Order: sequence, then C-alpha cells, then structure tokens
Amino acid sequence: METTTKMKSISRRRFLKKTGWMAAGITVASFVAFPVVRDKIPALPTFDAPSDKDGLTWIQILAEGRVRFYCPRMEMGQGAALGLTQVVAEELNIEQTDIECILPDTNQTPPFQMTVGSQSIANFFDPVSWAAAQLREVLRAGAAEKTGLSTDQIMDGRSGFKLPGGTTIGYAALVPATDVIITDNRLIENDNLKRYALRPTTKHQTIGQNWLHHDLTAIVTGRMAYARDISLPDMAFGAVVLPPSFGARFVAANSTGAMELPGVLGVEFDEAAGFVGVVANTPFILPKALDVLNVEWQIESDFGQEQIDALLDVERLRAEDDFTHTLDQSGDFEIGQQSARHRSSGRYDTPFAAHAAIEPRSGLVWVRADKVEVWCGTQDPFFVQKRMAKILNREAEDVVVHTHRIGGGFGGRVMCQASEAAARLSAKFNLPVRVQWDRAAEFQNNYFQPGFSHFIDAGVSKDGFITHWDHDAVSSSILTGLAPGLIGKAIDLATPDQGTTRGIRPPYEMTNKRIRHSAIRTPVPINAWRGLGSAPNAFAIESMMDELAFKSGIDPLQFRLKNLPANRVRLAEVLRKVGDMSNWGQATLEDTGRGLACAVYKDETAVAVVADLTIDHAAETIKVTKVCCAQDCGLVLNPHQVESQIMGNITWGCSMTLNEQITFAQGRVEQDNFHLYEPLRHGSSPEVNVALLAPPGTPPAPVGESALPPVPAAIANAVFAATGHRCRRLPIRYEDIFAETG
Amino acid sequence: MEIVINGNVIAVPDDLQNVTLLDFLRDFVMLTGTKFGCGIGLCGACTVHLDGVAARSCQTYVSDVIDVEVTTIEGLDQTSPGEGLHPVQQAWIAEGVPQCGYCQAGQIMTASALLHRNPAPTAAEIREEMNGNLCRCGTYDRIRRAITRVAQEV
Repeated sequence: METTTKMKSISRRRFLKKTGWMAAGITVASFVAFPVVRDKIPALPTFDAPSDKDGLTWIQILAEGRVRFYCPRMEMGQGAALGLTQVVAEELNIEQTDIECILPDTNQTPPFQMTVGSQSIANFFDPVSWAAAQLREVLRAGAAEKTGLSTDQIMDGRSGFKLPGGTTIGYAALVPATDVIITDNRLIENDNLKRYALRPTTKHQTIGQNWLHHDLTAIVTGRMAYARDISLPDMAFGAVVLPPSFGARFVAANSTGAMELPGVLGVEFDEAAGFVGVVANTPFILPKALDVLNVEWQIESDFGQEQIDALLDVERLRAEDDFTHTLDQSGDFEIGQQSARHRSSGRYDTPFAAHAAIEPRSGLVWVRADKVEVWCGTQDPFFVQKRMAKILNREAEDVVVHTHRIGGGFGGRVMCQASEAAARLSAKFNLPVRVQWDRAAEFQNNYFQPGFSHFIDAGVSKDGFITHWDHDAVSSSILTGLAPGLIGKAIDLATPDQGTTRGIRPPYEMTNKRIRHSAIRTPVPINAWRGLGSAPNAFAIESMMDELAFKSGIDPLQFRLKNLPANRVRLAEVLRKVGDMSNWGQATLEDTGRGLACAVYKDETAVAVVADLTIDHAAETIKVTKVCCAQDCGLVLNPHQVESQIMGNITWGCSMTLNEQITFAQGRVEQDNFHLYEPLRHGSSPEVNVALLAPPGTPPAPVGESALPPVPAAIANAVFAATGHRCRRLPIRYEDIFAETG
Repeated sequence: MEIVINGNVIAVPDDLQNVTLLDFLRDFVMLTGTKFGCGIGLCGACTVHLDGVAARSCQTYVSDVIDVEVTTIEGLDQTSPGEGLHPVQQAWIAEGVPQCGYCQAGQIMTASALLHRNPAPTAAEIREEMNGNLCRCGTYDRIRRAITRVAQEV
C-alpha cells in the first residue's frame, strides 16, 4: 500500500507522539492502519469496516501491566464497549479491573467506522480479538527472552504467564517503564495465532459473563460527562435562531435590542449559511436575547402532510405501474394468484418518526490559531472532524473531537449541528463557545424516519403454502437521504436504498413473487432511525402473514414454520422457542389478544416475538402487557447487555406502534415537545421475557436494532386477535378501532 | 438570598433569583448530574428532591426554594444512613439498569423519593409513580426490577 511506504519515511515514534497515541508501555503499531493522506474534499460519514490490523491501534499494555483499550465504538447505551472489553480480556487472560476502556478522541486512534447499524460487535469482534491475541504473544515472546525459555514453555496465567516449576511472571514485569513500539513484522502468522475468543463457549473465561458496564457508577451518581455537561473556564454561551420551517432563508435581523442586554458579547449573521447566532458571557441572558433578535425569514416551502402523503402513496404508483426497482422477481405471480385458495390484499402505512432522544444535542468548540477542539456526542467523530475542518476552512488534522457518551443515539447523532454553530461563533468571537439545543430545536431541525406505504397481494394454496407474493412499496431513501437535489434523484434511479429496503425480502418460501420499490424524495430531511426500513417493512410482511394464516384457518406459528425454507433453521428455532415461552395457543380472555411476528435482521439475526395486550375500554387505550422474545444473534459476549438491547427494542417497538407520529404543516414539524410526540411511558411498558439461542460456533450478529422489526406486526396481530379489527396503519390508536365499530 | 443544596449553603446573586432551579444547578452551581430534557416538566430528567419529595427542577424557580432542602443526584448518597451509595443507586448498579444513562439521575431521584415515602410499593404504584420519567432506551423493565430489589431488602 502507498500509505505504508510514505509512513516509513517519517519517524514512527514522532508520528505516534504527535497523534497523542503513545503510552509508557508496549504499543504494537501497524502503519497500514494509519492513513496518512486525509481526504480533504467531501465531509462524508466514515463507512469503512475495520480490518484486523486496525485492531492493533486500539490496544496498549501500560507500564504497570494494565491494558488500555481505546474502544473504537461510540457509546450511547448499547454497551458495545463492554462486550469488546470482554474480548480483550479473554485474549489477554485479565480481569475487568486490569483493563481501562477509553472512549477515544479523534487524536487517539486512526479513523474508524461510524457507530451505526448494529455493527459494533459483528464487525469489531474479529479485529479486537486478533489484535489482543497478537499483543499476548508479543508478551509471551518477551517472557521467553527474559527467562531464556522457549515460547512453548511459557503457559498462560492470570495477567501474565506460568513458567515451568510453578513460578509465574506477570505482564507488569514484562513491560518496560519507557515506551516500546513493536512493529508488525513481529506479528504471528494467522495460522499459528491462538484466538481464545474463537474457542467453544464452554472454554470462555470472560466472554459470556455479565460484566457490568464500567460507566455505571458515574451514571448513577450524576458524574458521567455528557456533551451538555462540559464547560471550560472563560467559555462563552451561544444560541442560534433556527429557521422556522424547512428551507427558510435568512433575510435580515435587527440585533440592536440584543446588543443592549447585559452580558451579550455579539451577534453573528451569515446570510449564505442561513445562520443567526448570539454570544454572551452568561447563559442566563440567552433566552431574552433570542426573544429580541428580530429575524426576518423568507419562507421557501409551506408543504403540509397532505402533499407528503400524496407523494408517498403506493396506490398511485400501482395505478401508474411505475416502480423504479424490482428487488426480487421469480415465477409468475399471476399463475400463483390463480392457484390461490385464499387471498388477501392490503395497504400498510407507517408514519414519519423522530428519534426523541432525551438529551438534546450540544456542542462546545474552541477555535484557536493552531488548533480546533470540539466537545460533543456523536456517532461519527471523524465525520465531525472533517465537517468542522470544512466549515472553518482548516485541515482535518488540526481538529480534535473530544467524544462523550451520547444521551441516546438511535441513528440521530451522526450530524453535529449544534457544534457547527458553536464553531462559527467561536471563530468569530475568539472564545470557547457552547451551544445547546432545546427540545423544540431538536424536533424541528433533526432528520427523520420517512413514512412508508406498502401494498401486498398474496395467497395461500389449499395445502397452506404461499402461492404468490406481490409487494409494492414506496418511501424515501434513508442512507443517502441527505444527498442534495439532483444527486439524490440520480442515486435513487441508480440503486435501491439499502436502508429503506432493509428486511423487505420475506424469509419465506415463495415460488411466485415480485417485490418492487420506489424512493421518492420529499422536502423532509431523512436519515437513519433505529432499524431503518426493517420495522416498517416487517410490519407489512408480518401483518400479511397473519392475514393469510387467519384466512387459511392455520395457526400463525404453524403457518410460518410451514412456509419457511429448509435453510431457515435458526428462524424456525426462535419461532418454536417463543411459542414455548409464551404458551402459544393458549386461550385468551375477552378484550385481550396475543400476536406473533418474526424477522431476520440484516439477514443475520433471527428474532421472534409474541405480544400480549389488553384493551382497556375505561381508559380507551391499548396496553401491551407482556412481550416474549427469542433471538438468535450468534455468540453473545454479554447476555445482560443483549437482553437490555432487546428490552429497549421492544419498548421502542411498542412506542412506534401505539404512540409515535410526526406530521407536517406549513413546511414545519407540528410536534415540538413530548406532549405532542410522546414516547412510551413507564406505565404503559410491557413486562419483557427474553431467551437467547445460538448454534455452537456461530459468530456474533447484530443486536442493537434486531428485535425491533417484528414488534409492530406482533402488536397489530394481537389487536386483531382481541378485536377482529385489522390495523394496517401506524400508529394504532384505540379511537381508530372503536370509532368505526362503536 | 441563600439556598441549601445538598447541605451546602449557596448564595444566590440577585439577577439569578428568577431562573429555573435546573439552570441554576447546572450553570451556576455546576452540578450537572441533573439533566435538561424537555423544559416543560414532561420527561423527568431534571428531577430533584425538595424536602425529600421529587420535583421537576425545570418547573421550579430559585426563589421557590428559599426554605427548602434541595437534594440532587450528587447529594443523594448523603440522605441514606451508612457508607457508600444510596440503596437505590446500588440497586441500579446491581440490576445494570442504565443504557445511555441520560435520564437515569431523574429516574433514581423519583424512585428514591417513592421508596422514602412508601418502602414497599406495589407493582401498580411503581408504574404510576415512575410514569412521569421518560426513558427512550427502554429501561423500564429493569427499573422495576431495581425498585423491587430495594423494597425487598428493606
């Protein structure tokens, strides 16, 4: 590789020192992992998956024999850092107290893939295990050198090695007090490298244990530092007037009133960027300053929900027979239609949705002549670094992003708008500036989950097999949702969006099928939201499966098992398991119902859920009382963390099914706080019962979003079981069901 | 004007008597464990104790708490006998409740006020009392387990 050659021409030690990536202790450095030439043009999210050698840049042995792990995953509650810490410990035979896990700043590791898509364990397990194993063998070689023995006489011990004759030598004795860099020509060939993390689960020492997260004490005592909690001496406090509607253009502002207020240091306009900000030496004057800043905007768009709904209308596209992409086609579904004994067709719609993380975003930025420092919480610190460099016209390597635990990510924390505002104000006023969004700003200025509109026509033979599956869907592109205008349209024509279409191919055997998809861009900014298309797509598919089972007179669990192909063993297993856990088939009481659904997230993690609910006529509510979930996500590093993620997904799924809907009027979001957009509350949250299964020897698969997709359909199917009413539109509200019948 | 926060007397500058207790805690006293979430009392992230009772600090003004003992998450451990963390904080760790953790100070303050008033709440009482504290990560089930653990240990 080019980068390697270039790297050798400068001192490795100097490079490591300059980047701050240096410890008194042993550092194994592979310079393949350090990209030298930085991409200066586009500020794009960091997509590249890690390679084994990247792992070497994340783990160091410190002089006292302790291990420092710069975890290449941002922390937002998913706890990936903990599972990966257990992998490091497994390879190095150490305890949790021997390892220090650090959320790295951008100057502490080379760039790593952004923390999205439930990839943290699946993609990082291998490089972390490989690098930790290499480090262990470097230490073993050191022990051999020190004792004059051969490496195969040096056996593993706790935090060190056992020597012949029963003596031990700890890592601390093998690590010099100065810094030592071991280069990658000392590494062991892969075939000869023992990987303890890859042993059978029965041999694992730390993998599979319920270690508790190293941040817990700080969290429960209020000492955990989120981005909103950071302050610097002599920092100033900024606030921004955000556009009143999508695309609104700044025209003019009168800053006189604001400038007269005590503590206000200045007002900054940037017409081209549509930016209006105020800076003060106290945060307490900011609300008043914003009040008196008379900003005039030119409204560019006054679209409302009706226009959006008309764009994302699957029946219109079906009438025009106009879909951009045929995602899957086989057999002849018209022949299938003719052989169907039972048929069902229906339209399924899911609304726009917001992340509604409890921490509104915040950024603290200090722009200086030689250096820019940013303190924020983001799912992609290296994107923030590039973005800051771009708006400040600086080199990316002059920008350091200090990362913080995020108060809820869910796909909504890649962008860094508050930090961008802080950067503009800091550059102008030569002070560190903090900008914090309030709840209304968070709702209005974020990006959203798009609405989805599906139509499915399907049938079942007299023997209970699916005869045909005709599925059309329309939504907006998610992964490229922020691509501008014509570029976005060109992308949509060229390729179906992998995020929007996630999970749209059913796992069932279907000879005759056609799945079509169109992405249509609306004025609403779109990007990742938990699970992307997986939950809306599974809602349509698994609702239809329930309809087909009902029409055929076959139990929904048996109907699914019957129609799974032979290679879907793992999905069949979780279906059977959730059936056992929930006593599926048992009769239910009046005004209660249970529903089943399943999905395979990213074609990797198999999940089945059964939801129990009660219709409360007195309170006029639908209440999900219990959810059982069986999940096969392969090797589980920390069962407690995985169960927590499943509980979180189930709560999220109940919330999106019963509560959540973003709507638009006059070019703006109608919901500005939790009274209008109310995530599921404690009193409405179900009891959750989780079972984890995995065939031996299977690698870890995604967890962070995997249990979400089947939840909405399971609830809709339970509503049908309880009321006989088919809900094909989310959110499902009591009054929508009983207004029609009552 | 002076107010008492976690047992410490804090002098309030004249121009800050009418700011919210939340802003005062975070930006003047620099106690940042109490969180901003919604600003209108709907999410519970800003919950503190006023004379041992859970209250929303975003809906309380500094001038409202002149004769009141204010306790924040940072001072909670001082309100329980014995060394170390408050039993609710210990239960939160033992049950591994937090995910992102941002709302958890508020959850713990509401739960500890509930248990102070009612050491053995029923499942329905826990649900009702905790209903004002939103958690977007969905830790409700673990919160119930942690509160039940404390109730059983008493």
